[in-house]
Amino acid sequence: MAEEKVIVFDPLYCSGCMYCMTACSTYHQGSTSLSKSRIHIVRHEGHAIANMMEEDHLIFDLITCQQCDQPYCQYLCPALAIEKDPMTGALKVNHDRCIGCRMCMVGCPFGAILYDSNRKQVLKCELCGGEPQCVRFCISGALKFLPKDLSHLVQRDRFGREKIRHHFKKVEGESR
Amino acid sequence: MSIPPGYAGKVLIIYLDHEASEILPLDRFWKTYEIDPQKWLGGDGVITKILWEDYHTAIDPLDPENEIVIATGPWTATAAPQSGRAMLGCIDPKTGGFSSGSFGWFFPSMLKYAGFDIVILKGKAKRPIYIFIDDQKVLFRDASHLWGKETSETVRMVREELGERYEGEIRVLSISVAGEHLVKYSPPCSDGTSCPGRSGAGTVMGSKNLKAVAVRGTGEVSLFDPHGLLDSSYLAIKSLIEKEPLIKLWREYGATTSLGTAMDWPISGAMLVKNREEADFPHLKNVGCLDCPNPCYHWLQIKKGKYSGLRHLGGHMTFLTVCLRNLGIQEFGEWIYFERLLQELGLDPASFSMTYSWAVDCFERGMLTLEDTDGMTLKRGDAELICEVARRVAYRQGKLGDLLADGVAEASQRIGRGSERIAPHVKGKEYIQRDAKVQALMWSLGALTSPRGGDWLRHHNVWELAFFPEKRDTYLKWIGKTCTEVYKESLERLDMPEGLKKKIFGDSQRVDLEWIESPKGKALFSVWTENLVALFNSLVTCMFGSATMFLMVGIGPTTYSEILNKITGWNTSYDELMRIGDRIFNLQRLFNYRIKGWDHKDDTFADQRAYEPAQMGIYKGRVVPWNEVLQEYYRIRGWSKEGVPTKAKIEELDLGEATKALDLPEEIN
Repeated sequence: MAEEKVIVFDPLYCSGCMYCMTACSTYHQGSTSLSKSRIHIVRHEGHAIANMMEEDHLIFDLITCQQCDQPYCQYLCPALAIEKDPMTGALKVNHDRCIGCRMCMVGCPFGAILYDSNRKQVLKCELCGGEPQCVRFCISGALKFLPKDLSHLVQRDRFGREKIRHHFKKVEGESR
Repeated sequence: MSIPPGYAGKVLIIYLDHEASEILPLDRFWKTYEIDPQKWLGGDGVITKILWEDYHTAIDPLDPENEIVIATGPWTATAAPQSGRAMLGCIDPKTGGFSSGSFGWFFPSMLKYAGFDIVILKGKAKRPIYIFIDDQKVLFRDASHLWGKETSETVRMVREELGERYEGEIRVLSISVAGEHLVKYSPPCSDGTSCPGRSGAGTVMGSKNLKAVAVRGTGEVSLFDPHGLLDSSYLAIKSLIEKEPLIKLWREYGATTSLGTAMDWPISGAMLVKNREEADFPHLKNVGCLDCPNPCYHWLQIKKGKYSGLRHLGGHMTFLTVCLRNLGIQEFGEWIYFERLLQELGLDPASFSMTYSWAVDCFERGMLTLEDTDGMTLKRGDAELICEVARRVAYRQGKLGDLLADGVAEASQRIGRGSERIAPHVKGKEYIQRDAKVQALMWSLGALTSPRGGDWLRHHNVWELAFFPEKRDTYLKWIGKTCTEVYKESLERLDMPEGLKKKIFGDSQRVDLEWIESPKGKALFSVWTENLVALFNSLVTCMFGSATMFLMVGIGPTTYSEILNKITGWNTSYDELMRIGDRIFNLQRLFNYRIKGWDHKDDTFADQRAYEPAQMGIYKGRVVPWNEVLQEYYRIRGWSKEGVPTKAKIEELDLGEATKALDLPEEIN
């Protein structure tokens, strides 16, 4: 089996353009939408709703399938329609078996599985066969496709560098 | 005619008088207005066509008869780069002529996901209301409790009232106090973020008692070749980012990047570094509208000074230019506060700043007295005073507020005393003044010929500014190349047929100071740029990233046609798309000619100093031969000596049927 990779997100790099979402729906659905995307950018737009001197934030975060090792969606599926792709390690919905009961949606702790009532299908991230379109279109570099055991590196690297910078500032201040 | 992929397929017409709405299939609407999508695309093209069919004579822009058209295009809300834009058009409250503005953030795409390509707002509501477009349902709601609220509070209250299920689900296009008080240059604002600036549509919305339009869209936009679209878009983005040397800076520093091109301000980094001390940038990258590869909004947080704690999403070019150039605001915190304040009040930065700047000049020359200014001593550089004046203008408070709220043209006519001769406007609309003798000739020519009055965004040719002699030591060094290298590369990459390039630039492969200084070839280059702007405003996509920005090597018509074909399944080419731009620009000119009689006599700067010799700099004593430049421009456009499109030109662009009733000149200049 090939190395299992997952989508990793760094909120500080996200530009909130949602290209990941439009690319996802375009690639899988054949039409562009934000509501039928298997990856979702959660937004808090503090700038648009806060008064002038009120402190608020502008935050983006990612909700998508984490490709869990103990997948509740798979456990709860009565039709055994959720299968692990042996090549990518992604959990895929077998639409021939799927009965549309949406129990997988109940099981997912992140709300990463959605239901498309037009097509009568549940949709979840299946890693595009190993070349995720969302990562391809993430120009700002917030999304990365990394092996599971390296997925902490993005956050660790940034946090580490910030810590060092903070430390240097402190030392500089003292030496003055 | 069936509806091609890429269009949502419905048109929403709202009758504010009766609080009623009507939903029409797009193809039927096209038929009524004789719109062939392959000739007009959407956005600005459709707005032009709708206004052309609906108005045959001049109207009072604040009359209920004036209608607001929000039009998306085939590009909007697809997976093409920078697809989060739409156009908003109406009859301009300042000029009485054609007006439209591009805006973004997520309102346009939501509208298309709700299933509407075009929304037309007609009539005047009997009470303050706002509209909620919930997919295919339309609700009219009372807005009397929202009247008098500023932008962000309106957005928050509307979203709360409509029961947003998750943040960003409902998008709000709202006006603020300036629009309510009918300040003549008020734009509406999309989610307190992106405004169709310069359109004056906020004033028109105010006159219609319409506080906001909210939209929730959960639908999809169909595509002809989705995977092909993704591949073409990816290539376009990659080549944009790799080709355009300034994009990297832009993505990190936002609009401050353009300091080098737009201002006499070296981009040595000093200002940026200082900013980092005074302000924090909690995000590492800029923030942008839907599908934007080079976002322009900066999430700022002021750390030092009086406005410590202020947060704002912006840092935009227009504010930056007017603040530093015309208002003399130097401190970073004050600049950001001013930007946020104008957004909250709903004032157009360019118009307000030019009006204020003019008022200072008048005050210094004694044309305005302390009595006119309510006892205030007007001057530049005093941010607190400027913000106070902005508030008074938005509420039309006192003598000064009421005077400046009407803009330069009307104010100068009202006070007289020779102030008309220094009023910075063309056809009644203010423009950010650049002296063509000292700086960009094409930029100024754009202000003269723009269909919406004195305005630079329908032209936006930065070639001269980018390769201006004084700039060579600043930002070109910053990107680590010599001027000749960059010029040569840019010339090669410019998305323009070789024959046309030769006509415009001659054979020179290096920065030709003579070319920069002389008017030769510039009219032709201007025509090309204007057509390009009309084109991408009809697709609708963004100016930032197009071939009119930075070094003019962004996304051009070749890429536009490639991506558009993937969206719609058409087979358009470079030439066809540029012809669409030409067609739209000509109909806008004709529209203004028909209802306002604008021709050569109106293509003039009100400010007489534009015609006098330059006072300083290396171009001291230089005069621009404006009449010759304009006549050459008319000739290239196929217009008569009077600046009116000729019959032959109209036939060539397939506008014949529409313009039969007009008595147009035969002879091209």
